[in-house]
Amino acid sequence: MTRWERSVPVYGVPVITRGFWVLCALIAVGLVLTVVREVVGLGGSVSGMSDPFAWGLWKTFNVMVLTGLGSGGFAVGIAAWVFNNKKLHSVMRVALLTSFLAYSTGLAMLGVDVGRPWNFYWVAWLPTWNLHSPLLEIAVCMSLYASVPLFLENLPPLFEYLIYEHPKWRGFALGCEKAMRSVYPFIVGLAYILPIMHQSSLGALMILGGNRVNTLWQTPFLPLIYVWAAAFLGYNCVVLCLLLAKLAWKRDLDPSVLLELNKLTVWIVYSWTAFRFLDILFRGKILHVFTDGYLSILFWVETALILGSAYVLSTEKGKKISTMFLAHAVCALGGMIYRFSPTTLAFHAKDGATYFPSAIEFIVSISFVGIAVLAYLVAVKKLAILPGSNEEWLKMAKYEEQVKPGIQLTGYAPVEH
Amino acid sequence: MAMTRREAFKTLAKGSLPLLAAGCVSTILPEVAHAEEEKIEAPKGALGLLYDATRCVGCKSCMVACSQANDLKPDTTTDGLHQAPPALNYHTKNIIKLYRTADGSDHSYFKQQCMQCIDPGCMNACMFGGLRKDPETGVVWWKGSKCVGCRYCEIACSFHIPAFQWDGFNPKIVKCELCRDPIQKGLRKQPGCTEVCPTQAVIYGRREDLLKEAKSRIAASPGKYFEQRVYGEHDAGGTQVLYLSRVSFDKIGLPNVGEDSIPSGLKYSHMLYKWLALPVALYAGMVAFAGKNFKEHSHHLVEDQKKTGLRPQL
Amino acid sequence: MAKIEKETIAQSLKNAGYSRRDFLQLCTTIVATAPMGLALTEKATPAAVAKAVAKAKKPSVVWLHFQDCTGCSETLLRTSKPDVADLILNIISLDYHETLMVACGKQAEDALNSAVTENVGKFVLVVEGSIPTKEQGIYMKLGGRPALDVLKDVGSKAAAIIAIGSCASWGGVPSADPNPTGAVGVDSIIKDKAIVNIPGCPPNPYTLLGVVLEYAVMGKLPALDDLKRPKFAFDRLIHDHCPRRAHFDAGRFAGQFGDAGHREGYCLFKLGCKGPVTHAGCSTRHFNEMVDAWPIGIGAPCFGCTEKAVGFRIPAFDKVDVHLATPPDTYAPISGSVGKFGAAAAGLVGLAAGALGGATWAASQKLKSSEETIAEQKTPAGGK
Repeated sequence: MTRWERSVPVYGVPVITRGFWVLCALIAVGLVLTVVREVVGLGGSVSGMSDPFAWGLWKTFNVMVLTGLGSGGFAVGIAAWVFNNKKLHSVMRVALLTSFLAYSTGLAMLGVDVGRPWNFYWVAWLPTWNLHSPLLEIAVCMSLYASVPLFLENLPPLFEYLIYEHPKWRGFALGCEKAMRSVYPFIVGLAYILPIMHQSSLGALMILGGNRVNTLWQTPFLPLIYVWAAAFLGYNCVVLCLLLAKLAWKRDLDPSVLLELNKLTVWIVYSWTAFRFLDILFRGKILHVFTDGYLSILFWVETALILGSAYVLSTEKGKKISTMFLAHAVCALGGMIYRFSPTTLAFHAKDGATYFPSAIEFIVSISFVGIAVLAYLVAVKKLAILPGSNEEWLKMAKYEEQVKPGIQLTGYAPVEH
Repeated sequence: MAMTRREAFKTLAKGSLPLLAAGCVSTILPEVAHAEEEKIEAPKGALGLLYDATRCVGCKSCMVACSQANDLKPDTTTDGLHQAPPALNYHTKNIIKLYRTADGSDHSYFKQQCMQCIDPGCMNACMFGGLRKDPETGVVWWKGSKCVGCRYCEIACSFHIPAFQWDGFNPKIVKCELCRDPIQKGLRKQPGCTEVCPTQAVIYGRREDLLKEAKSRIAASPGKYFEQRVYGEHDAGGTQVLYLSRVSFDKIGLPNVGEDSIPSGLKYSHMLYKWLALPVALYAGMVAFAGKNFKEHSHHLVEDQKKTGLRPQL
Repeated sequence: MAKIEKETIAQSLKNAGYSRRDFLQLCTTIVATAPMGLALTEKATPAAVAKAVAKAKKPSVVWLHFQDCTGCSETLLRTSKPDVADLILNIISLDYHETLMVACGKQAEDALNSAVTENVGKFVLVVEGSIPTKEQGIYMKLGGRPALDVLKDVGSKAAAIIAIGSCASWGGVPSADPNPTGAVGVDSIIKDKAIVNIPGCPPNPYTLLGVVLEYAVMGKLPALDDLKRPKFAFDRLIHDHCPRRAHFDAGRFAGQFGDAGHREGYCLFKLGCKGPVTHAGCSTRHFNEMVDAWPIGIGAPCFGCTEKAVGFRIPAFDKVDVHLATPPDTYAPISGSVGKFGAAAAGLVGLAAGALGGATWAASQKLKSSEETIAEQKTPAGGK
């Protein structure tokens, strides 16, 4: 147990491990299959998509579900910077990195999924924008978010890396740091408003599905419920990453931060569930939670997974790390199922139409997730992302000074700003 | 330590309250007032089809004529010999389907093609205007240069019409456009299907004329047509392709979509985004708060650095 | 040889003992044969056709045989009631025909010469059989002269040329692979004369009659397609008017000769019928004036005898592509089933889900071993 005061890279662990090679193999297979998809098209031999289920796995899972999981950047960020929850500053970098990786692999997946990606350049030409389309909002917002504020927010660890290990770039990096400090609140504001907008637009997408989306999910408030779910998914992801760091690299945990994250997760989940039920009630559809066959079951499964795990987190049991881990995992599962339902599980596209991903579709999907995981593993080892104490930093500095002679990681006096 | 209420209010007042207030007043109130008037009407010269299922004999000449008028290869994938698509697809813009009861006691044909909605879901969905409505004829047509192939139009259509070219490179979205291209080029005066129909089960003309004709048929044969009404007069906010049927509409494949257009579900979202007032106000608020907290945080970072000699992390 | 005065067709028929009734019957048959595409019969009643035909002068016809089987002449002769052969022979002035004329040897050669010289620029040349071109055309000679030279000579003096049969139209049987004689059709040799191709093996005699009468009465040849075939006879596919079309549309096929489907008279597509790619009128105009006296009618698949790319080229029992597919008599349901559930995919997804679930559980258990209930631990001093 320790106190998290700053971010410390994972040290003394090689970057190239067995896991690294497994992921590389998965990614290689995925890229080969992507080329196949580009040549052959999206038809029956490549994907399980059809005219009724025109969105298969890639848009709905890699984009809509996984960017929900990668919402730590704004969900934890708003608590940390707007509501001044100082405990959360130390975990911001994990949140930001997971967000960036989820978004960039999601957007890459989108490029593979669409039929004419070269026409996407119209996104930069305002006269063509159809302002009525939720998808346009997502295209503009997500691209802007990932390429500007989220990207910029993820640069500081890189600047530090340059300052410590690449003296030639030190001046440049220092200048960049200074520039960032001067505009940071503006970047950060953008990094919160943009995801709020597009995560809710992701929900607005299925409003056009009309009564083909089951009434337990279809609501004019779908955007709000979607972005609210993204919020707790973001917290789930951050906590899981932190606990997995302990498991994989024996990182020390800071109880007060974890408890704070749990508390916020629980609060978000409780309010989310309450709102969802009230929405169904006020739309007069409350009986559907019992009368819609397997869809009612799906509804209760989602609710149980999400609410149940939040409840566990709020009890004493939830303070045990193993329980905490499971609770966040189960809550994330529930949240991901929720985000997947309006597009696929609870979407009655057309009588007689069913959808199941093809093998190629599935492999490509998880290989893109693999890219994110691989990048994460490399980043936490090379850059200061995962939280640790100042003591931890000193230990790391000692180790690094042995391995890389001449590197200076301590003894910096403050410079006049 | 978290922000005190006093600090919170101070920052709010400084940063964004005026803006927020102005934003809310200017956007939401007028929107609520005007929300009911937003219904979109068909253009004056709106063209369409009237299909009377009671007159159709299922000869499928319209399917052959459509393939020929649109230079489409017939879809023979079912058995390699016959043009027998199971549904609309990227070879097939028009299809005749058969509704039959299990015991064969009742049946009806159904000609399926784009409904040419007055407020189309597909057009609303399309990001860059790849699907657009002709301002004079109201025909909804696809413009390939603006299409990204995202297939949101397929999701947004309650009638399951736009068909995507799943195989091959540079895929198209294919659907009936009332033979807009050959008519514009002067190659024909009316769509292929209406030209060849031997019983005039499907006819072409101005929507207002077709509506009049349909209503006169209903009046002339009371009890013949389902619910004594024309499907498409108000359904989904009104469509330019109209249907008359003896058998119930949902049995022949016309969904029960109500009178609200497909895009009308987004009206609340549109309200919130009007002139981007609310997002900008929120942004301003968050920048104000974040700025204040960042200042405080930077101060702490400098203090920590003095104590530890470790570079501060942003 | 004595010059024969060109009489009108009416006179000729009368002399031959044909009643007005027989003549009207013939004219009715012509109208039925060519309802469209023939100026003679366009919008005309049989009586009007009869009037026009009666006044016309008998056209002079020279009929040359080259590499042929004489089947085209036979098809003309093997007609039954009314005796069309006889009629035709009384409508035209057949000045030279090797099979039908009495003369032979030198007399035959003289007959040809006089027929040609007396009617220079006015006679119709009918060519039956293909023309060999290899080795200066020595493979068929007429009176010691290669067919090539005879055709060029006689053809240059004709008013128009009718190439009757597939052999004369595009080479026919002799031109089948390996085509040892270099057999070609008339229009490969003669380029500067009006040519009408009437392909078929053999073609229907009424097609010839229609063309000849059009020429005799209206003074011009009928409308031709881009292969010089008269449109009134060759503008539709066998498939379009086949009496067995309903079976094709319903998916009822004969699978083998003599099987149940074959005996029921089902469609012969699977036995290699070339109907879908063959232009000819045989579906509606059968031979010998007998119903079903044509290949498909007797249960033999059409082999595409009129088409250069099909007849004697594509093997008899090979299936062809249907170029303009039309809908069958079955219908798409209102809602068909779409979407497949692949076993491999299901297996992969199940495996992945299981692996992820298992790993999560294992991770939580591992965390248990270093179990620390974080609320119990005192946080290090100086917590914010």
